[in-house]
Amino acid sequence: MSRQLSKKTLQKVCWRNMFPFQWSWNYETMQGSGYGWVVWPAMKELYGDDPEKMKEMLRAESGYFNTTPAMSHLIMGADLALQEELGAESKDMVMAMKSGLMGPFAGVGDTIFLAIYRAVFFSIASYFALDGVPFGLLIPIITGLFIIFTRYKFTFLGYSQGKKLASEFADRIAPITECASILGLTVVGGLVASVVTYSLDLEFVVGEATLSVQSYLDTMMPKLIPLVIVLFSYWLLGKKKMNSTRLIFVLLALGMVLGNLGRIFGV
Amino acid sequence: MTEISVMALILILCITTLGVLDQYSVQMGFYSPLFSGTLTGLVLGDIQTGLIVGATLQLMSLGIAHYGGATIPDYFSASIMGTAYAVISGNGADYGIGLAIPIALLLTQLDILARMSHSICKHYMDRCIETLDYRKVTIAHAAGGATWILSRVFPVFVGLVFGEAVVSAINAVIPEWIMSGLQAAGKILPAMGIAILLKYLPFKKYLAYFLLGFVLLAYGDSIFTILAVAIIGTALALIHYHSIANLKAAPAAASVDDEEVEIDE
Repeated sequence: MSRQLSKKTLQKVCWRNMFPFQWSWNYETMQGSGYGWVVWPAMKELYGDDPEKMKEMLRAESGYFNTTPAMSHLIMGADLALQEELGAESKDMVMAMKSGLMGPFAGVGDTIFLAIYRAVFFSIASYFALDGVPFGLLIPIITGLFIIFTRYKFTFLGYSQGKKLASEFADRIAPITECASILGLTVVGGLVASVVTYSLDLEFVVGEATLSVQSYLDTMMPKLIPLVIVLFSYWLLGKKKMNSTRLIFVLLALGMVLGNLGRIFGV
Repeated sequence: MTEISVMALILILCITTLGVLDQYSVQMGFYSPLFSGTLTGLVLGDIQTGLIVGATLQLMSLGIAHYGGATIPDYFSASIMGTAYAVISGNGADYGIGLAIPIALLLTQLDILARMSHSICKHYMDRCIETLDYRKVTIAHAAGGATWILSRVFPVFVGLVFGEAVVSAINAVIPEWIMSGLQAAGKILPAMGIAILLKYLPFKKYLAYFLLGFVLLAYGDSIFTILAVAIIGTALALIHYHSIANLKAAPAAASVDDEEVEIDE
């Protein structure tokens, strides 16, 4: 049992997560770097007297993370609860939980907080606006306040659920981490097929017929290109001289080629 | 065309900044084309034109969002510029909407550039974690926010100071192959995030589950969603959990049997 987090710290983390969370969003860790910054005060409270432990946890917390911002409160709450109960021992479990939950939470969260929410409230406001009525703009402001309230509650809901999880399964971390990894990897496999959206835009005209290269690839194996690019990136990252910054330039160059196949082949 | 007062320009840049801050935090509405167009109209004294430009662009872009960090046409800044051009030229809302669409597409690239520049922040933050320097990490994190604000404020500033001529000029100068290359890169770059994540997970040990998740959405994306994949992943995790539990229970039971056998003899 390590130190306890005060409610004040949890609130602080919550507000940091609400507003500046995504400022350092980047292609390498996405929201991860911001996540590390957001939980910093909590890490300090838990591991302040052990700089090595604090560094280790901050390194882990700054790793790849991406989900609907509204849903990140739940994950962060559970994360902090687990660490409070189990200390730095919980590192692998926390990592697995974060990567296992972010995908499905984003699936639910993007649908509710981005797609449905916007389609309902912003379209109502827009229809008012088209009639020249500016007061429709108050609708998203009011619902926005409700969203802020919900996100605040999410932090503490995640925290209490994470506590339960931690106390029930404290002696079974290893198998749970394994299971969370299985869930995480299954979801990540699905992400490859859904997040990397590039498809070949190359067609050859042979007489009357137009041959689309992508549709040929699709009959062989759909989403083959995203899978190859991910595995290629993974393989490159294992190389000694490769880091994620260099990988950006490799992928950028690849994009320049793949985005101009039509020009290169002169069709 | 360049008749825009310094005061109005400053106010519009404030609206732009507020919108960017809203976009990447709670999304109250200031990030939306609807709000940015309306507020710009308000500043320039023609709220009706702002409402119509903003609402039209809002409805056009309803289904589009930054899902998973995807870059989308910048209808937010385009709504500001479209409204401003419409009001100042006196050509009406339709004219502004017509200009706003190519502007939105053109500005798409700046969001990608901002996100790319954040890699510098990321590496700096990683280094500062090693020295536990909270102040520097905060500065780097805030610098990310600043580049994001700049990526919207700069084009709006240039667009309003130099007028609509600059839009067509830029479109003519940048070769088309760079634009299409950047668009393809934007679709490929998420692969990097996934590859880095795989480095953190026991990828080789549990390759089977990765392949399963991939196949479910690659071949079955008309039936399955990422939530379905997550439920299947949970089911597989539960199966794995029970098989571990059984493995542990089995030897214990066996040893009890052995003792009983001995007693019998």
